[in-house]
Amino acid sequence: MDVTFWGVRGSIPSPGPATVRYGGNTACVSLRLGDGGIIIIDCGTGARNLGIALLAAEFGKGEGRATVLLSHAHWDHIQGFPFFGPFYVPGNHFTIVGGSQGSDLLERVLERQMAAQFFPVQSYRNMGARIEMHALSEAGEVRVGRARISAHANPHGPTQALAFRVEEDGKALAYASDVGYGEGGPADAAIRLYRGADLLIHDCTFTPEDHALRVTRGLASLDDAVEAALRAQAKRLALFHYDQDYSDHDVDGLVLRGRRLLDERGGAGIEILGAAEGLSLAL
Amino acid sequence: MRVRFWGVRGSLPVPGARTERYGGNTSCVEVTSAAGTRIIIDGGTGIRRLGKELMRSEFESGKGQAHILVSHTHWDHIQGLPFFAPFYREGNRLFVYARQRDDQNLRSVFASQADAPFFPVSFQSTRANVSFRELHDGAKFEIEDVRVATTRLNHPHIATAYCVAADGARVAYISDTAPFSDILFGQEFLSGPSSSRARPGKADKARLTSMSAAVVRLCEGADLVIYDTMFTAEEYRQFPHFGHSRPSDAIAVAGKAEAKRLALFHHAPDRSDAEVDAMLAGARSQGAREAKRLDIIAAFEGLDLLLGQV
Repeated sequence: MDVTFWGVRGSIPSPGPATVRYGGNTACVSLRLGDGGIIIIDCGTGARNLGIALLAAEFGKGEGRATVLLSHAHWDHIQGFPFFGPFYVPGNHFTIVGGSQGSDLLERVLERQMAAQFFPVQSYRNMGARIEMHALSEAGEVRVGRARISAHANPHGPTQALAFRVEEDGKALAYASDVGYGEGGPADAAIRLYRGADLLIHDCTFTPEDHALRVTRGLASLDDAVEAALRAQAKRLALFHYDQDYSDHDVDGLVLRGRRLLDERGGAGIEILGAAEGLSLAL
Repeated sequence: MRVRFWGVRGSLPVPGARTERYGGNTSCVEVTSAAGTRIIIDGGTGIRRLGKELMRSEFESGKGQAHILVSHTHWDHIQGLPFFAPFYREGNRLFVYARQRDDQNLRSVFASQADAPFFPVSFQSTRANVSFRELHDGAKFEIEDVRVATTRLNHPHIATAYCVAADGARVAYISDTAPFSDILFGQEFLSGPSSSRARPGKADKARLTSMSAAVVRLCEGADLVIYDTMFTAEEYRQFPHFGHSRPSDAIAVAGKAEAKRLALFHHAPDRSDAEVDAMLAGARSQGAREAKRLDIIAAFEGLDLLLGQV
């Protein structure tokens, strides 16, 4: 499977010269499976550019099909929905997979985002494509072609965010954005979900110093990301969901420091990189 | 009076190298009078950096006061508000103005943006003293030394235009609006350009004409008119039902109003810096023919203008 990053930023898009290299769009990642199937993880503003790319092929003709995994419904993970072009092409078919609170909640989230006072389309039912909701429980699993998708609910401040594992043909991707582990570090169930992943995309909103001042935000530090990768024996770690005020230079610093931490803690074999808009990786 | 642009984009923020010069943040303009009265027009993502700057002044110690005039509550005009730092400091006084709705009071529209599951900090827990003022079409009011006039615009779910006057200068903010010709917008959803509901009959045409005249009056002799010019002529032909204007519409209004300067604003998310340059060049050559005394610029993030006495 191939992974592409469309938005790597947390909280709110941060346009400007300081974020041009890593990108200022909020969270969105796409996977192209071995059999051509498409999975989209989160729908921050990065989803707009993904939509433009998808419209060039079958999604432009109303023959596209994709599964959208939604970690949670904070704005930076859904604000690209109204601007995702393929939703407006009749014939396209989407399944949105989200948290265990139920598909009613998913539908309410989309409907409220589209409500007349906020957006001219007024209802997601006016968008054109067929959009279905599916609630994924922790014990559950979703299949897309040959790929198996499982989830774990990580603590995220006062709420939770789903981490996902997508496995196909012996290759595994794990995605854990927006997680505040608390005292004991990642739960065993979280580590099981990330175990041996060929790529672990992990929340790295803050440096350890900035994190110490913002523990209640329920977001991860570089330390958390490194620890998760070490314990899970991931093969490659992609830092993700950078604070909106971090410049490209700051993110370079996170990556260098992460490399050093991995080396010091027995993770010299784990590759580390900073997720950047437009970056594609083959697993 | 000082006018500063913090966000000039429409629809949604567009980070990236293509928008580096004009900026990718959504709508936010700051107007400060010489006496220090602080007006903020719209709360798109641009308001986040304004908030950070304000926190270096009296807003940091909870002694700040600002008036936020909201054109309408589509996302690109309010999505920065949860990230506006002065809201979270006790003692700050913030006044939010927007058009009254039949269905929902203003406080609840804004509060719902910060509800679970969308945002971790509820509106109830913002520490500043926030009050709301609901406006009727055409409302006129004063804020300290600043005079504000309003009129209704032609946009889905209706938007409000503002004219802010102080220090012998006037700035008009006309965003978002469609031209006052092809479609009369109201509360309903228009699915396409040819939706039969959309074609104005005689009565609707009369309403559009009087709406347009009121906008021209609002801009009369203004030192600066900031105008929604999201579309090229070709884009407008495809999407008249989206409720946005072309530079030619802005030039017609600003020219008729004998305004001094026009700022193209609410640039489309797809518009690269080079394309905004081209749109500006086209608008200037049209302006040279049709509104000779009108100075035309394209708004960009960080643009800072001093008008009247400063």
